[in-house]
Parts: sequence; C-alpha cells; structure tokens
Amino acid sequence: MIDPAFVEGLIRILFVGVVVTAAYIITSRNLLSVVSVYAVQSLMLVLIALSLYSLEGSLVLLAIAVITFVSKVLIIPYFIATVQEKIRIKRDIEFHYLTPTSSLLLSVVLMLVIYMALSRILLGTSERNSLFFFGAVIGISLMLMGMMVTFSRKKAITKVLGFLSMENGVLLFGMFVTELPFIIEFLIIIDLIIIVLLTAILSIGIDSTLEDYQNRLHRFHLWETLEDTP
Amino acid sequence: MNIDLILYCVINTLVVLAISPLFVSLVKKVKAWTQGRRGPSLFQTYATIRKLLSKEVIYSPASSWVTRICPYLSMASLIVASLFVPLVFVTGTVGGIGNIILFLYLLALSRFIMALAGLDAGSPFGGMGSSREMSISAIIEPTMIIVFATLAFVYRTLNIPDMVSIAAAQGTMAVPTLILVAISLFILLIVETSRIPVDNPETHLELTMIHEGMVLEQSGRNLALMEYAAAIKLAVLTGLLVNLVVPLGIATTLSVTGLAVAVIALVVKGSALAGVIGLFESSMAKKRFFQLPSLFAMAFFFSTLVIIIEVFS
Repeated sequence: MIDPAFVEGLIRILFVGVVVTAAYIITSRNLLSVVSVYAVQSLMLVLIALSLYSLEGSLVLLAIAVITFVSKVLIIPYFIATVQEKIRIKRDIEFHYLTPTSSLLLSVVLMLVIYMALSRILLGTSERNSLFFFGAVIGISLMLMGMMVTFSRKKAITKVLGFLSMENGVLLFGMFVTELPFIIEFLIIIDLIIIVLLTAILSIGIDSTLEDYQNRLHRFHLWETLEDTP
Repeated sequence: MNIDLILYCVINTLVVLAISPLFVSLVKKVKAWTQGRRGPSLFQTYATIRKLLSKEVIYSPASSWVTRICPYLSMASLIVASLFVPLVFVTGTVGGIGNIILFLYLLALSRFIMALAGLDAGSPFGGMGSSREMSISAIIEPTMIIVFATLAFVYRTLNIPDMVSIAAAQGTMAVPTLILVAISLFILLIVETSRIPVDNPETHLELTMIHEGMVLEQSGRNLALMEYAAAIKLAVLTGLLVNLVVPLGIATTLSVTGLAVAVIALVVKGSALAGVIGLFESSMAKKRFFQLPSLFAMAFFFSTLVIIIEVFS
C-alpha cells in the first residue's frame, strides 16, 4: 500500500501543475502548444484520478481515468491538431474584452471569490480544510478560467479549447466533491467529441455559403470521397 | 558580534566573488551550444575582468563625480545584498541579518546608481538605457514585493537566512506550491539580470539595449566593476532560487568537509539553473517593450496564487 501522506502531496503537486497549464492556455499565442498543453492538463487529471483511486479504491475513479485518457489525452488533441494542420493557422493573437494579462489578473480575483464562496458553503462540514476542499476550489477556478478563454479569444478553435478546459474543471470538481454518476461523465465526453467535430466545421467554413462550403471541405481535404463539384 | 557571524560574512563574500563569473560564462556557453558554436571558455569572464582591471580609465569630459563613484557604489551595494543570501552555509546565529525589504532596496539602490551613471555622461544611449531600466524597475516592483511576501508567508519569517535554514533543516521543498514561487523567482531573475525576453545582454544595438546602454560610457576598472556587479547579481539571485527550492547540501554547521560539499552542491545546482537560463534565452525572442508587463503579470499571478493557497488551505 502506498503511503497516503505521499499520495496527498502528489495530488497537491498535480493541482499546481493544473493551474500552471490553465495559466498557459489563457496567455499563450501559439496554437500548437495550446493543444499539447491541453493534453498535458488532461494527463494530470488522469494522474489525479489514479492517485485518488489508490486512496479510496473506488472503481468509478479508475473508469474515469481510463476514458479521460483515451478521449482527452489521445483522441481530442489528435483531432484538433489535425484540423489545425489543415487550416494552417498557427497563432491566435486576437482577443476581445480582455487581454491575456488582464484575464490572468482577473483569474486571481476569481479564485479568491470562489474560495470565499465555497468556504461559506462548506462551513462546519468535514470537507473544510482538506484536500477535497482544495480540489473543489481548483476545479471551479479551472472552469471559470476556461470560460474566460472561451469569451476572450476570437478564433473558433481556441474557443473550443477553452470549452474543453472548462470541462476539465467540471471533472476535477466532480472527482473531489460531488462524485458525478459515471453515466453523466460518459455522456459529457461524448458531447465533447461531438463539439470537437463541430469545431472542424466552424473553423473551416462558418463564413461561407452552403455551396462554397462543400468546396472548402474539399480544399482542406476533409472530404476526400466527394466528387469534384463546379 | 560572534565568531560565526564574522566567518559567515567572510565565507559568503569569498564564495560569491569566486563563483559569480563562472555562472555568467556558463549561460554564454549554453547559448553558444544551442546555436551550434563552441562558445567561450568557462573562465572567459574571469579573464575579461582581469584584462579590464589593468586598462586605463577614460572619462567623458561632460561627466561629473557621479560617474567616478558609481561603479564602487554599485559593487558595494550588491556585495552587501549578497551577504543576505546564504550561499553555502547558515547557522542559527546568522539569522539576525537579512531582512527581505532591505534586500529588495539594496537591489533597487544598485539599479538607481547604474541609471545615474548612464545619465551622467550625457550620451543619448545612456539616457535611453536609464529611462528604460527605470520604467521596467517601476513595473516590476509590485511583482517583486509580492514574490518576496509569498516567501515570507511560506516560511513565516522576514529574514532570508532564516528561510534558508528552515529549508536546509527540512532538506526538501517546504510546500509543493513552492514550485510556483520558483517560476516567479525565475522570471524576476530574468528581469533583474537583463536577460532575453526583457533585454539582450549581447547586443550593442541602440534600439534594444538597456543594461549595455547604461555601461556604455564606462571603461577600464570601472567597467570591470560594473560587469562584476552584474555577475554578482546573477549569482545572488541564482543562489536564492536554488537554495530555497532545492536546499540539498547547505552546511548547517561549520566544518571544512561540510563547506566543501556545500560549495560543490552550489556549483552543481547553480550550473543546472544557468543551463536552464541559457536554454530559456535561446528559445525565446526578445519581447516588445510594451509587452513586458504580461511577463511580470505571470510572476504576479503565480505568487498571488501561492498566497491564496497557503492562506486558505
């Protein structure tokens, strides 16, 4: 059996890592590295789930670790990277409402507010002052930081990455506080995969007419079986 | 005054004087390797300083006594600041000195003196360098205070020697969140020692230079002192970062073998950090001057986060 104190320390380090990746996703202007950082963030969630499994021994955590690994570390980043290669956009330097610096500062404020709100809610319960409380704070902050990415970036592909990291926050919160039913977790992941598929459509041809859209799909080689249409 | 304190001062100053040029050369060497060059020898900075010491000093006719005393003042303030950071050995009795606020102001004093030296000779490059240096220092100040406040909070003390002795007694990182403080300290180190995303230490192009612009009018032994002071600043901040994050090998009692181990440990840890700095500099392009606050905001973010986490959990 692994020493529980060691596992707790490990989970805390992983929390720190999750926050660092979230900060990177908020500030980076380089799209390719944002995708790989998202994969790293999901990998950290997998490791957190595995460490929690070694503490608690609940099989749901193991299942969550497996489907998170397959979908969020392998499939989704691979798919987004492929789309990105096709549309040949390497950087995202357009922001509205918030520049990266101000969103970083805002997220500090958000964390403070979340901490205060949660400590009122959990006041007097045994959850207070424990790893689980810390996990809940980090989870909700990650969610809101993802939301900030979603509304402060202009490119569809980064918006989706923000949405994905928001979902990571939900997963983290679910792992530590409420224990979401596994079926819901599974449905969320299916939703995510569909959303990523939709991104491909959005980022390639949202600004075109339907006739033109087919041509575009063809041009980006996303629809190879299609016959040449005039 | 006890004997430990005196020995501490002597040993710390000797170590910082002996080691600091090595780290500067190491950073240069790593940068050269990443560019596919062989790079200067590890002892090049020592040789440069010795060469400059034997050269004649030339003052601009427009310069006043300020230029004449600035190198000495700058060197003196940095050597005093170096006493605040135990590099190789720390005992309980050393704890009385080393307040973080005084440490920060000694660093600021050396910046101020440098900027005066840049302005004094009346050359436009010097003035431009000084103006930029002062703008950067004004923006980085809140971040620096927050980073050091975080350290004070994590270790529950305002003295740097106390922090190092707590870290050395534990032997490992005090709390996991210290990784975040390490990132902030690294950014501070980059800014304070004028390295690439902020300033390019290798260029004399008038549009970009900050630190080099200020020392442009210096020559001979004055230039040697300025260069040595910059090296000491790098060594002191390196020592602070590595001794707090990886406090392995610091001697807590005074013995010859302990000191030898500590010096070797410091050189190994510092060289590793110098390697990281070299790689970091090679992988980044210089940032535009008005984009610099985003770098500082990063350091600010991480250290505020540590305070939030540590206060509340």
